[in-house]
Amino acid sequence: MSKRVVVVGGGISGMQTALSLKSLGFEPLILEQSRQLGGKVADWHLLFPSFTPAEEVTVPLIRAVRQNGILVRLGCKVVSIESRRVILCSGERIDCDAVVLCSGSTLFDATIKEEYGYGIYDNVYTSADIEKMMNNECVATASGAAPERIAILHCVGSRDEKVCQRHCSKVCCITGVKQAIELKKLFPKAEIFNFYMDIRMFGPGYEELYRQAQIDYNIHFVRGRISEASPLMDGRVQIKAEDTLTGRPLRMSVDMLVLMIGMRANDDNAFLSSSSGAELAPNGFFKSRNSFVDNVLSTKDGIFLAGTVSSPKTIGQSLNEATTVAHRVAEYLNYGN
Amino acid sequence: MFYSHFCIPFIVGTVILFVTILYRYVMWIADLPKSDKRLIVKGLFTTATLRSIWETIRESLLHVSIFKRNALLGYMHCSLAFGWFLLIVVGWIETTAYMGAEFVPLQGHVFFRYFAIGIDNHIVTFDHIMDALLLFVLSGVALAWFKRLKSKHLGMRKTTKHTIGDRIALSFLWFIFPTRLVAESITAAVYGGGGFVTANIGAALNNILPASLLTGAFEPIWWIYSCALGGFFIAMPHSRYMHIFTEVPLIFLRNYRLRVRQSQSSYDNFQVQACSRCGICIDACQLQSQLGHNNVQSVYFLRDRRANSLNMNVASDCLMCGRCADRCPVGIDLNSLRLNSRAAMRNMPNERRYNYFNALDRSTGEGKVGYFAGCMTMLTPHTLTAMQTIFTAAGEDVWWADRDGGVCCGRPLRLTGETDSANKMVQYNTALFRKHGITTLVTSCPICLKTFREDYNLEGIEILHHSQYILRLINSGKISLQHSDNKTFTYHDPCELGRGNGIYDEPRSVITAIGTLIEPKHHHRDSLCCGSSLANTVISDSEQITISSSLTLELEATGAKTLVTACPLCKKALGRTTQQKIVDLSEIVATNLNTKP
Amino acid sequence: MATNFGFSISKPRVIDVDTNNLKKSNEILAALPELQSCIGCGSCTASCTAGNLTSYNFRKVHTLVRRGEYAGAYEEMNKCMLCGKCRLLCPRGINTRRVVMLIKKCLGDF
Repeated sequence: MSKRVVVVGGGISGMQTALSLKSLGFEPLILEQSRQLGGKVADWHLLFPSFTPAEEVTVPLIRAVRQNGILVRLGCKVVSIESRRVILCSGERIDCDAVVLCSGSTLFDATIKEEYGYGIYDNVYTSADIEKMMNNECVATASGAAPERIAILHCVGSRDEKVCQRHCSKVCCITGVKQAIELKKLFPKAEIFNFYMDIRMFGPGYEELYRQAQIDYNIHFVRGRISEASPLMDGRVQIKAEDTLTGRPLRMSVDMLVLMIGMRANDDNAFLSSSSGAELAPNGFFKSRNSFVDNVLSTKDGIFLAGTVSSPKTIGQSLNEATTVAHRVAEYLNYGN
Repeated sequence: MFYSHFCIPFIVGTVILFVTILYRYVMWIADLPKSDKRLIVKGLFTTATLRSIWETIRESLLHVSIFKRNALLGYMHCSLAFGWFLLIVVGWIETTAYMGAEFVPLQGHVFFRYFAIGIDNHIVTFDHIMDALLLFVLSGVALAWFKRLKSKHLGMRKTTKHTIGDRIALSFLWFIFPTRLVAESITAAVYGGGGFVTANIGAALNNILPASLLTGAFEPIWWIYSCALGGFFIAMPHSRYMHIFTEVPLIFLRNYRLRVRQSQSSYDNFQVQACSRCGICIDACQLQSQLGHNNVQSVYFLRDRRANSLNMNVASDCLMCGRCADRCPVGIDLNSLRLNSRAAMRNMPNERRYNYFNALDRSTGEGKVGYFAGCMTMLTPHTLTAMQTIFTAAGEDVWWADRDGGVCCGRPLRLTGETDSANKMVQYNTALFRKHGITTLVTSCPICLKTFREDYNLEGIEILHHSQYILRLINSGKISLQHSDNKTFTYHDPCELGRGNGIYDEPRSVITAIGTLIEPKHHHRDSLCCGSSLANTVISDSEQITISSSLTLELEATGAKTLVTACPLCKKALGRTTQQKIVDLSEIVATNLNTKP
Repeated sequence: MATNFGFSISKPRVIDVDTNNLKKSNEILAALPELQSCIGCGSCTASCTAGNLTSYNFRKVHTLVRRGEYAGAYEEMNKCMLCGKCRLLCPRGINTRRVVMLIKKCLGDF
């Protein structure tokens, strides 16, 4: 009988991990806490830097999972991981030979940054809201009008000691550029301003997209972090920042303020870590054994990591890890460690 | 008749003690500001004097407030202070009973057992009473020794680290009563007499020791006793035991309404020297319990200030949460003293500063009610929108002082010692409030509230925290709230609102008008600080988080669905360390308003 | 004299690190190493209660001080009201009020 591997999480990392494990002759079981496969990517509209529709990634993966007869259980929340056993919140115990954690990360709750007014006044949105609005083809201000001026704020809930999220969330810079272009395409007359502390264009084609945003789409980049947003009588939002390159405070009224929210560690990580013995990094994400050849191994034998459960990652990087982790699981189950 | 050479150390010590103390008190009182002297003269023949006498008995002798904190610790302090006091008083009665109106010098009272050897008509009752009192004091000394080893059993997690001067004085003090016991017992052994303790010990000594040894030890042991007393008296004014006497004038001066000022004054001497270094303040301090900062608590601050060796770090490393001042059994005004120490180090009179305030007015709206949100409230816009909703619902016309940016209330500068600069803000804001003719001033920031109440002269303008204002609106029927027992809240008392302004009940009444209130472990006067206090300029961001986390744990442990506070700074601090919902009091009011009937 | 201090914080000239004396700057950084972690995001200045009313720019002043440009820094820092809004916003967790106090203390003689 082939060995069973539990894959926690049915996002793109989980699905790809399961597919790779299956092709290596194992019997993967995907445990997904929501009611559907696809994870966060399923909520996204177009993907950077190529503006590829997100379903071009999720749909083929979901189809392949079905066609390969991979066992999937939806609505299953894992509450504890012991050696060779996973316990669900229903109390059910599932025995297995290895566990791959593909449980991803959580989007930062922008209401915590109260000074930006998210959830308090209209016309303050998060990057995730914008993706949803684009999917539903209903991007507009709260009053239903086309925005004339939009501010996009980078680094909300990442690189911020004040919300105890020190790490860089990696993908928000390029997402900010991507959404600026998309919004400009939707509203060609709108002025769009990206407020940033640093712009980190690390991936292939990212820097090019950044240039394109500036030259082809006339998107303004202001180096300064917005400190406060306040509501105006007409429903617009007034933002305050310092234009650090000129050294002067800057005020601006905008029709939409979009907050580029970062990825933070899941709250669940704490008890998954304490029950399994796989350690967490100080930022709450799972700790890789090292950043090099063993980056998909947790600090505990038999528990593996793929995707954003260990740190913020792009889709491509997550999928690469999913393929790699299957091979490391195979090594572990076939030869021991 | 009442003299022997062994009395010399005692007499010398006593004279030095009283000369030193008298000299100090005269100098301190002479140096008092004129207005303070007037207060003393005015208060002298009022009930304040009677109250002071009563307070002296209650606190300096019986130590009632320490009893309330921990019975055993209270007993220890009481037995030493009250016990010793009774030994002196009853001793004096005893000599008077024997000698009648005849003058007996001081040493005659103190060493009466020595001089009473030849006296006829022995009154045994006195011997027993004096023995019982000695036993009472000795039990206190024994507890003090025990406290050195196991302070936990006396309700103290951590005790004071003493200076060398204190240790010397302490050693003398610990010697006094055991040597007195031995001296009186040996006297009883050699010459008979003594009460139920000394007579029995004397008899026992006679049984085990040769008579010649006891006779030989008789004079030396009285010498040792006298030396212990004399040594203690000489060391006393230079050690923490200066508090024994200083507490008394402090109580009187305080009742005559003398107060610690913005800048240091002679009255501070009485405050500073009244500290007994009991160390009760140490356990209250979250910088100690959470961060392990060990040399900055009030007891050490006062020690350094007394020794003129206070440095900026010790003066600045304090949250001024007031937890220690609340517990201080002597009632020393710890925060004010720390503030004027900071002022002495940092205040810089400069007329040119802040002249950009001239002709500045960014206020909006019009009304008899003025709303001063406070700088910090700008970063908690939920509070601002909630207050707007409440004002509208109550139909109040409101003048907004600082919605578009105003001048700070001045308390942050005051807290760092820059009093003169802070006073510029006081002047500016006072003029602004007067100009707009408001009669009520509402603020959402307890820090502003404190300075408005204490440092501003806003006669004719009622100053309210928004919790008080909201409660008033509810009571007068201007707004009504939807109540449901299923809504559960826990409330964190902000330091500046609770201990700082004595506002505990109003926020609670507002909360219970909406739902169920569950108190956390520390609440009311005992509530914890969130760690973000503006008064501390030393601790780092991560240290602030450590303090806030411990508070968050307590609040979350109540199981309440919503954490409520009434200070923008506390809200920000708690928001960093909790995953639960944390709201300002005004928010729950705004969301639970009944639409007007 | 009351208004003209005879300096300007934004003098258009080279910051000459070769000739600037960094002693005071190093003293300040030794007392508060976290100041070195400033990434110049401008949150402090954007929210600044004093900066809202004057040309005071906290970020610029402390950055210049760190480069050894001390002229006028003390007088500029004296515009600060120490209200602490900036500390609540700083994404690097810098004790900004302490920065103001340190600069005032170290450069008071300039």
